[in-house]
Amino acid sequence: MLDVPILSLLIFIPIVGSVLVYLLGRLRERLCELASLVITIVVFALSLYMYGLLFASKEGASFSFVEGPFNWLGGFGVDYYLGVDGLSASLILISSILSVLVVLGSWDLITEKKPIYYFLILLFEGSIIGVFCSLNLILFYVFWEIVLIPMFFFIGVWGGPRRKYAAMKFLIFTYVGSVVMLLGFILIYLFTTPNTFNIPELVGKIPFWVQLLASAATFAGFGVKLPVVPLHTWLPDAHVEAPAPISVFLAGLLLKMGGYGFIRVNLGILADVSRQYAWVFISFGILTMFYGALVAMVQRDLKRMIALTSINHMGFVLLGSFAGISASTTQGAVYGISGAIFQMFNHAAAIGILFMLSGYIHEQAGTRNIDELKSLRIGMPKTALVLILGSLAGMSVPIYSSFLSEWMVILGAISVNSWYAITVLIPLLTVAYFLWMIKRTVLSQLPERIHYHDLRNRAMIGLLLYLVPLFLLLILPSLILGVVDPLSLLLYQGAGGGK
Amino acid sequence: MSATILVLEYAVIYTVGSLLASMLSLSKRAGVKQSAAFYASLAVLAVSLGFTLLNIAIYLIEPKPSFTNLFHEDLLSYFFAITVQLVSLFVVLSSRNYMWDDRNLSVYFSLLLFSTLGMVLLAFAADLLMIIVAWELMSIPTYVLAGLRKDNPFSNEASIKYFLLGAFSSGILLYAISLTYGLTGTTNLPAVLQALQASATRLDPLTILALALFIAGFGFKMSVVPFHMWIPDAYEGAPTTISTFLSAGTKKAGFVVAIRVFVVALPFLSTNWTTAFAILALATMTLGNVAALTQRSLTRMLAYSSIAQAGYILIGFAVATEPAKTLALIGVLFHVFNHAVMQSSAFLAVAAVDRTIGRASLDSFASLWRRMPITSFALAVSLLALAGIPPLNGFWSKLVLFTAAIQGDMAWLALAGVLNSALSLGYYAWVIKRMYIDEPTGSMGQGRIKEPAVISAVLLAATAIIIVLGIYPSLIYDLAKAAVLALG
Repeated sequence: MLDVPILSLLIFIPIVGSVLVYLLGRLRERLCELASLVITIVVFALSLYMYGLLFASKEGASFSFVEGPFNWLGGFGVDYYLGVDGLSASLILISSILSVLVVLGSWDLITEKKPIYYFLILLFEGSIIGVFCSLNLILFYVFWEIVLIPMFFFIGVWGGPRRKYAAMKFLIFTYVGSVVMLLGFILIYLFTTPNTFNIPELVGKIPFWVQLLASAATFAGFGVKLPVVPLHTWLPDAHVEAPAPISVFLAGLLLKMGGYGFIRVNLGILADVSRQYAWVFISFGILTMFYGALVAMVQRDLKRMIALTSINHMGFVLLGSFAGISASTTQGAVYGISGAIFQMFNHAAAIGILFMLSGYIHEQAGTRNIDELKSLRIGMPKTALVLILGSLAGMSVPIYSSFLSEWMVILGAISVNSWYAITVLIPLLTVAYFLWMIKRTVLSQLPERIHYHDLRNRAMIGLLLYLVPLFLLLILPSLILGVVDPLSLLLYQGAGGGK
Repeated sequence: MSATILVLEYAVIYTVGSLLASMLSLSKRAGVKQSAAFYASLAVLAVSLGFTLLNIAIYLIEPKPSFTNLFHEDLLSYFFAITVQLVSLFVVLSSRNYMWDDRNLSVYFSLLLFSTLGMVLLAFAADLLMIIVAWELMSIPTYVLAGLRKDNPFSNEASIKYFLLGAFSSGILLYAISLTYGLTGTTNLPAVLQALQASATRLDPLTILALALFIAGFGFKMSVVPFHMWIPDAYEGAPTTISTFLSAGTKKAGFVVAIRVFVVALPFLSTNWTTAFAILALATMTLGNVAALTQRSLTRMLAYSSIAQAGYILIGFAVATEPAKTLALIGVLFHVFNHAVMQSSAFLAVAAVDRTIGRASLDSFASLWRRMPITSFALAVSLLALAGIPPLNGFWSKLVLFTAAIQGDMAWLALAGVLNSALSLGYYAWVIKRMYIDEPTGSMGQGRIKEPAVISAVLLAATAIIIVLGIYPSLIYDLAKAAVLALG
């Protein structure tokens, strides 16, 4: 389409920009905040442009903007190879949107060591975009691991009281998962003819037993990131300790790496096993959803509750994608897989506003304890309004697109097996704990009047921006589904479905 | 150029330079005395490195391996010559800050040069007798260097322990060589190969005994469990620059002779030595990593980490037969080079801390980044590289080694290596956490300390190599591949 290497630009503008931002920040701290905003907006504009072109071309199923394969490590199958389809493009778009919002949100909430902070933010953005558009398994792994380093420092340096423990736990959990995943990639490479790490060339070529072993290995990598219960225990700790903008990155983007991996690798190239053993993954998905919802219900810390909501919501992704691949009808498959991808997009925005808000509440009220936050509707009316609007997004009520994606996933799941209808209980549980939280914080009465600081207008606008894509996509879901549906169909057919 | 003349040239450069360093330092004026030895050693290494690079260039234009009875000149020799001389250069430069107030500086430098010459000769050696001569030339100066701080009991202990076990291992090696001579009637490696090829004695129990003795003898230098006992004590007691030299330099020499002896000369016994190396690899990396987890002193932690890294390299030896031979040996060479750089960087960062704050215990690293930003950065990067985090150089060589292991039907070894990598991140990340996240403890100041200038420059250079090779691994990978393919 274009001669400009648009994907490389999307990756390397933030990475190169990060050094620039750091140097500017050493000069004057305000400069690095502004420069990061400019860079993230440029990346957002570029990714919007990329997405627009892809949307207009209706080529969501095949890889566009392909760069490479360029030989990186001689004769060893490691190539520099980029490309986007509907899945990658939508995740890159949400990454660039969240990066802008996170930079804006950090202006208020991050006061220490700003140059390094913004350096790491941009490094994170560049490498996560790299994860979403790598078409070589090793390149994918390289970006996948780079993401860990900024996140380790975010939690460890800017985190709460137990930040050291949370940072180490995060690092060890995700690294163990990743290296086991790497073994799976090496297996795929060695036992496929011709030997290659390139995803498009691997489709349909991998022997079944290799797929089986590789699925087990990659489950460790993707499962920790998604996270799948019982590999999730790092997540509540990391979220609670991370500063609010970083929680947005963590839940909004880092968890998506797991979902992306499941769809790109398991559904894409390990398709036979994914179809045959879908029930295993689906069971884990349902377990994850129920666990997240039930444990969220009993939390006292607002942020921990939101973190568990995010486990609950990401279970939909696992359920949807594997229900889709094993569906008996094309319609069910498209509902499931597209629903899963759509869910990732929506969850990123919905969870973003909730985490950010929890950060503001903590800053203004000095606590995040749900029992201690009383009568926000009088004390902090703007905050209460945003909290309700954000909670509605978390509850997936039909004024946001998150309703559509959960509905699609459940529909897809039911089309596989009517027992999976049990998952309709999940939105119910979610609504229950959100409403209970709102009852205790917003609607409660205080004996005496306490005046908290309320949200500044700028912060409020920054928060409401998260809801824009959710509104927009409720009205025009085809903006995402238009590029995603062809891909879902392709994946389904690639796994031998619909014949 | 004939290989003998080539090696003679190295010998002349090093010997003349080293003698010059000692003579110049006879001067009565203290300043001249130290500078003379330092600049003379620097000049020798610069000339010799330049000479090596020039020869590689000539060799690459016209690849003509040359063999004589004692030496062979091929890319493998050059690869190791470059690696060990680079480490020596790092060590000599860092000594400008670390050892400057030592009274025996000229002795220090000339011994360092002689030991480097020993390593270079080992890289070229093609005869078992030449190997033992070069081995001793490399080892004996280091016994003295480890004990250079005569008034420090730890240094003395390190030296004695290292010397006794070193002498013992040389004895074992000599015994192995004499057995080989008895079996084949020759000490020349190509001739040993031919003799074994022709005769039926190759599965003789004596041959197996010789093989076992070779493994033990080389294993001592390569820091293979169970021949590793001296390592933590020696590294901790010796001046830190010398620990760098031992772990990044002389250890690597063990691997080059191991390639020459096992892979090239004794391929008929590969069923025996691959099994042995597989077991040793597993034991070495596991013990190294587990022991490193519990250390309170960073020097000891790095010593155990260095043992663990030797375990990863041994994975390459364990599968150095068809079908994975090429990939395995590439992995060995690649990781040897990477480890030399990463380990130098990590150890020299510790040397910088040792020099300015004193006591390289983990407590003195708390919040180090405020006080020594360059050192902390270099240490963090080298530790991440040692852990195998991409895109740093250590990742690529481990990737090649693990792939070779799976290709060579030893997937369990790859799994063990991967799990060990994960384990190792536990202590590497702990140091990084200490430097960047923890608050300073006790009476430690927060103010910035003036970092030793030359060490900082060396650290930045090593960090640059780590990052550049991480982004563009082909630079060394291609050279290693060419070296392995030339072995045949």
